[in-house]
Amino acid sequence: MSSERKDILNPSETKEHEIHKNISRSQNAILEFRQVGFSYERNKPFINDISFSIKNGEFIGLLGANASGKSTILKLAGGILRTSGGNVNLWGKSIQLYKNSDRAKLLSYLPQILDMNVPFTVRELAGMGLYPYEISPALTPDEAIEMVGLADKAGSLITNLSGGERRRAFIAMTLLQGAGLLLLDEPLANLDIKYQIELLRLLKELRKNRNLAVVMALHDMNVALQFEKIMLIKQGRILGVGSPDEVMTDALLRQAFEVELEVKKHGSGGAYIKYQDIF
Amino acid sequence: MIALFIGPKFINPINMNEIEKEILMSIRLPRVVVSVLMGMALGASGAVLQGILRNPLADPYILGISSGAALTAAVGIIAGLTFWGVVTIPLLAFLGAMITGVFVGAMGWKRGGFWPERLLLAGVGLGFLFAAVLMFIMSISSDQGLRRATLWIFGDLSLADWSVIPYGFIFITAGLVICMSRAKALNALVLGDELSHSLGFSPRKERFVLFIAVGLMTAASVSLGGMIGFIGLLIPHIGRFLIGSDSRALIPVSALGGGILLCIADLVGKSIFSPMELPAGIITAILGAPYFLYLLRRRDVLGA
Repeated sequence: MSSERKDILNPSETKEHEIHKNISRSQNAILEFRQVGFSYERNKPFINDISFSIKNGEFIGLLGANASGKSTILKLAGGILRTSGGNVNLWGKSIQLYKNSDRAKLLSYLPQILDMNVPFTVRELAGMGLYPYEISPALTPDEAIEMVGLADKAGSLITNLSGGERRRAFIAMTLLQGAGLLLLDEPLANLDIKYQIELLRLLKELRKNRNLAVVMALHDMNVALQFEKIMLIKQGRILGVGSPDEVMTDALLRQAFEVELEVKKHGSGGAYIKYQDIF
Repeated sequence: MIALFIGPKFINPINMNEIEKEILMSIRLPRVVVSVLMGMALGASGAVLQGILRNPLADPYILGISSGAALTAAVGIIAGLTFWGVVTIPLLAFLGAMITGVFVGAMGWKRGGFWPERLLLAGVGLGFLFAAVLMFIMSISSDQGLRRATLWIFGDLSLADWSVIPYGFIFITAGLVICMSRAKALNALVLGDELSHSLGFSPRKERFVLFIAVGLMTAASVSLGGMIGFIGLLIPHIGRFLIGSDSRALIPVSALGGGILLCIADLVGKSIFSPMELPAGIITAILGAPYFLYLLRRRDVLGA
């Protein structure tokens, strides 16, 4: 995850990656939700009337309590779940109309719960990111593995790694997939603070070089404060969208999480969350 | 090779007479070919089933798929069905395998995923039921071939002759070709449905196509020589240990290993208490069942 790797983060010149390059010049929304509704059980709407869009280079943090609908929104965005009302459009076309392999070049989704018992080595797992491609893009599995700081474990079995290392191996796969939009469901869970920061920096670097867009479910409010755009979710509805200054107010956060808390501002412009006293 | 010359009567390869040549060509060679084909089908089926069900204990025998195929095949033989000509029986076996597989899959599926314990219990339960029905049908049947019910249930290669080999070969080759062409999708399925979707595959479609391939191979194997267990369980595990889990290598290696193991198992079975013969399925069960129990004991296998 070091800055020396900038060279390989540039858009590659292979044919497959031309798609990203052409697309990234356009200013339209990559992904657009239009009044999306969804229910797991009949007559029990879980997601209600969600509308938002994400543009190139934009990072959106989804913030909300457990079971608020963050993961479901990401699955709808990835085309894994089908809406029961409204539309999810990828580059202006319904996501369900894409061929699987074409969609896989445009967006990739990383679930929150990863099967950690997969019998592959780090290199094999990362290499699966290339499956949508006929011609391999410029980034190689070993380079992606180095970007997530697992170079010395490339030949190890996933099952022999720690929880954080396993998650990073999956992230290497997602990076190798080379899509312009990443949908990450709590990618920072199980990661040491060091790797949380490194992953966020790596994504930021990819945004600079490749105009990467990211939608990320979060539950750490202090991480959310670092984002430029936050979507606050409660019970399948959007409670607010905007910068942390606009959305992460005491009132809205208390409403979303149903706990006493306070957003404390630093003199220097930063902020942190102060929870109610426990002991 | 060795299997060709060892048997109740040892044949000296350098100095054969006419009778010995006859034994070699019409009894021993087809038996070796059948054992290799069956072993290949079972080894590859196990590797694929373990991947699509994300369950290291999967095997066509344990999941009842072999019993389903055997039951429909036996019914077909007794009823004298020939409406599809010479491929009637293997096609019936294929239908039996598919129906059983779908049923076991449906029993093991809950809330968007396969539950390892449910799958195994459904498979073992159905396997018992089918074996009982099969025994019943065979015991009331007057057909001499089917009277050897116990031998069929434990896998019997001694009835192998050239007539059954061509369609078995076609079914198994077709199954292997399908599996190899979908090997990447199989790797992705091992990661789970959501990730395989993200990697550009339709998990349902891929699982279905691969399952058809398993059905073809299992049906061919059962039609060739009855039910043989545990090769599909044991061989992919040895394969993973030796060459890793990438299906593109694991499928061919499992096929090869299965062929070799069953050929050896049959050779051991017919030589160890010679002139009495043990069915090859008993040898593979003696090898495989303890390993199955060992895997069951390892908690991480069931994701617990």
